[in-house]
Amino acid sequence: MQFASVRTKIIEEFRKRLYVIGIIIICMFAIFFLQLINLQIFQGREFSEKSRMNMENNIPLPASRGEIYDRNFSTDKQNIVLATNRPAFNIIVIPAQYKEKNQFYYAIKNICALLQLPYEEILTDLKSTNPYNRYIIQEDVPFDIVVTIATNQDKFPNIMWEDAPVRVYPFNNMFSHVIGYIGSLTKEEYNTYKDVGYKYYQKIGKAGIERQYDSILRGVDGYVRRIVDAKNRTEGEEIGQHPKSGYNIVLTLDYDVQKTAYTALGDNRGSVIVMKPATGEIISIVSKPDYDPNLIISKNNIKIITELNNDKNKPFLNRAIQSRYPPASTFKLVTSIAALEEEKWDPAITRYCPGKYTLKGYVDRDFYCYQAHGSVNLLWAIARSCSVYFYQLGLKLGPTTIFNYAGYLGLAETSGIDIPGEITGFIPSKKWKLKTFGQPWFDGDTVNLSIGQGFILVTPIGMMDFLSAIVNSGVVFKPHCIKEIRSIDNTSVVSVVIPEKLREIPLSPTTLNTIKQGMRMAVVNGTAARLGYLKVQMCGKTGTAQTRSKRQEDVSQHAWFVGFGPYDSHPEKVVAIVVMVEYGIAGAATAVPIAEQVFTTLIKKGYF
Amino acid sequence: MFKTIRSSFQEYDIKLLISIIALILIGIITIYATGFDPIEKVNSGLYKKQLLWFILGIICMFAISRVHYRILGDYSLYIYLVVLFFLILTTIFGAKIRNTRAWINFGFFAIQPSEFMKLATILLLSKYLELRQFDIKRLRELFIPFAIVGVPVLLIYMQPDFGTAMIFIPIFFALLFLGGADILQLISILGVATIALFVPMMLTYIEWSGINISGGFFSFLKGNELLYIISGSLLAVSIISFILYFFFNSKVYRAIYIPSFIISAGLFLSVIIQKFLKEYQKRRILVFLNPDLDPYGSGYNVIQSKIAIGSGGIIGKGFLKGSQSQLGFLPEKSTDFIFSVISEEWGFIGAVIVLLLFGYVLYKGFMIALKTQDKFGMLLAGGITCMIFFHVIINIGMALGIMPVTGLPLTFLSYGGSNLIMSLLSIGILISIDSRTR
Repeated sequence: MQFASVRTKIIEEFRKRLYVIGIIIICMFAIFFLQLINLQIFQGREFSEKSRMNMENNIPLPASRGEIYDRNFSTDKQNIVLATNRPAFNIIVIPAQYKEKNQFYYAIKNICALLQLPYEEILTDLKSTNPYNRYIIQEDVPFDIVVTIATNQDKFPNIMWEDAPVRVYPFNNMFSHVIGYIGSLTKEEYNTYKDVGYKYYQKIGKAGIERQYDSILRGVDGYVRRIVDAKNRTEGEEIGQHPKSGYNIVLTLDYDVQKTAYTALGDNRGSVIVMKPATGEIISIVSKPDYDPNLIISKNNIKIITELNNDKNKPFLNRAIQSRYPPASTFKLVTSIAALEEEKWDPAITRYCPGKYTLKGYVDRDFYCYQAHGSVNLLWAIARSCSVYFYQLGLKLGPTTIFNYAGYLGLAETSGIDIPGEITGFIPSKKWKLKTFGQPWFDGDTVNLSIGQGFILVTPIGMMDFLSAIVNSGVVFKPHCIKEIRSIDNTSVVSVVIPEKLREIPLSPTTLNTIKQGMRMAVVNGTAARLGYLKVQMCGKTGTAQTRSKRQEDVSQHAWFVGFGPYDSHPEKVVAIVVMVEYGIAGAATAVPIAEQVFTTLIKKGYF
Repeated sequence: MFKTIRSSFQEYDIKLLISIIALILIGIITIYATGFDPIEKVNSGLYKKQLLWFILGIICMFAISRVHYRILGDYSLYIYLVVLFFLILTTIFGAKIRNTRAWINFGFFAIQPSEFMKLATILLLSKYLELRQFDIKRLRELFIPFAIVGVPVLLIYMQPDFGTAMIFIPIFFALLFLGGADILQLISILGVATIALFVPMMLTYIEWSGINISGGFFSFLKGNELLYIISGSLLAVSIISFILYFFFNSKVYRAIYIPSFIISAGLFLSVIIQKFLKEYQKRRILVFLNPDLDPYGSGYNVIQSKIAIGSGGIIGKGFLKGSQSQLGFLPEKSTDFIFSVISEEWGFIGAVIVLLLFGYVLYKGFMIALKTQDKFGMLLAGGITCMIFFHVIINIGMALGIMPVTGLPLTFLSYGGSNLIMSLLSIGILISIDSRTR
């Protein structure tokens, strides 16, 4: 009996424990049921999408990027194309398509050997990207390589190719800064632009017009919907969406003028801007040193890009809008305007120039003029660029007035030109000097300021704006490089750029006439006399900026020329020019001949 | 003659048989689907082999159901030793398929002794636990069960077949539990095992996920010295408190020496496991916890499986229309991930039907164990039910992404002759127990 009860107890215990296991089984099944509901019902749509992404290896059909023409574009003749496309191929891979790592390594190793690429580097790069994304192994691959890959699929499993037209810039360096170039999206760019439809494998304008008008030029990519299995064998194909081409752009730039300016600048570092002040149309904009955009658009040319980036001469810098210099004697125009507008100075007042000016003070200090001009009035002082006259004029005005006028005339503001990356000039102030140098503003600083030396800095495009104000009676239009947007077949005009007023400076006609007269005299019988023979009546002002290093006096000078023509006609006809040459010998010697050549071409092309 | 057959059929639970045959047929249809190449339009023909195993298995099932299960119990040691012999042969001389020596080749077919080892181990353990049912609460009675399970686990681990070796452990604990082992002892053993596994996992995770641990506490842990020190000092604490308990018999000391001994032993074992488990095995468990850690490797399987199941939706994509399986994104689709294929092609409805069928089979096994009057029958029925249950939860759990990827077949459904025959033999034994209980 004792035995039997123990036995019953054991069986009872067994049954109790069996129930525990039964409860565990029920719990597990409940969990599975819930997870099934979760995966198949709640997340069903999401997983369907993922499953579709797995099997749909959509092949993008690249939209053809719009072409860029110069201002002489017309529909009934052969046009000058500044940027176009040529057919080529990309070799691509999607790492997630490989079932086995070894197969992936095998394919990458073979393709690297075929394309002569560094295997290790490609592998490291691949591992850092999303494995479900298309990875471009090499761009711009010739057709015979594609044939090799297509005929040896066993050696190159899951290696694919696609049409990928390559951007071509037929005039290489000539338009490099203004047109810019395109390139693959960087990770930062992708994160910024993915919401506006950019795909990680696409190209984006990196500089210049290509960047500014990327959304107009790029079009919309289409795609082929391709059903593939895990081994990337095709099961079916259909066009998902046809690509939509980008628009063509006609620039305001004139190829011939650009070519002249580009050639005239030669091997100098510097920039030339030619613009119509009446509308803000840029006819030419050149910066040197430059680069060949054709060489750097491809991912294959990282070496060349690195070299260019490390170049001490900074070829990527668009000196026309991204560099600032002391305006030197060209600033005398600002000082003059300030004096005339404030009515503190009669233009007829003469001052005697013995070749230097002595500023009286605790210690007397001499300020020199490049030659002894004798007795000059304001007009002659502008024409001959007499510094001694302006020293005294500046002292009379005081620094604050000059700062204010430089500000009114927009020298420290951006022009809003449609090339990205513009910087502003710099106008100092008394406060700024105290803060930066711990010294008050001295009269000596005012003397320097009045002839555009010292702390003040301007950009060439800023000078162009200032020049526009003189030509246009104070009205400044936003400089712009594009004239119109056309459909891809060029048959219709999609949009025409309407000049936009940037600012209107109230300047009295008398002041402007005096300034223009002074600038005209500089051409007739002054520093820019070399331009006197031109058919167009030119006005101008030279400048020779001394940079800080006084040791190399011959080379450490920047040459300026700002000018326009014709002198006495309606502003509609006027074309203005700013020439800036770094370390040019002197404004008259270096910058003026460049302006001369540009205007010769302008005359030839019938601008006046 | 006919009468005998009819009466013997009446002994069978027809609903159980129908459920099992339904599961196997679903499996064969799915294997047909996975063997189909949508591009080449050919079938690999695996389903024909599975059909053959199915017929063979049904014959074996009926055959074994005619044998009284107690006779199986009497011969359990010999059965165990014979299977163990084949297992040893396989582990040493077996054909190497995908880096694993799990199959032994008999010319026209190959068998996987590790599958049959599961059943043999359950038989022997049940027999042993029945014999020792009055003493089983003593800790030392657990040594022989440990040996019964430990030897095959070690051999299978050496093949190496991690998944199959792992499945013995929950079955073992379930049998000990049903056999009446002391719960505190079981919890202690599980505690030791948990600590022993957790420490190496954590270290691997820290190392792998690239957390900078140069210097300081973790690198000290990595060097094992700290583990030894903690383990040793806890051991000392436990011995002292045990002696105190021995003399004063106060529960306070018991509350100290048991947990400190568990932690001490766990840490000590963790050092051994750290050297014993291969790096990829440790990583695999970690990838289960976070599949995104390795989207190319073992994480790929789980991600693709979840995509397959999830994209099936409510009604599924239809027969032969599952893109995940048909286009080869899903790995091991006829074996480990067959449930994902079913869920993709037949959707939530299909998956629930499979779960319900399994539920019914388990329920029947459970009821058979409950109704049985002798201890051996109870343990055998309970053990077999648990074996099927653990296969189901580990395999389906893996497909659903809530269990680690271990490479275990889904009973009745997955392609594989040995597993199917072994499972049908188990059902035959269940039927034998059932028919003799009525």
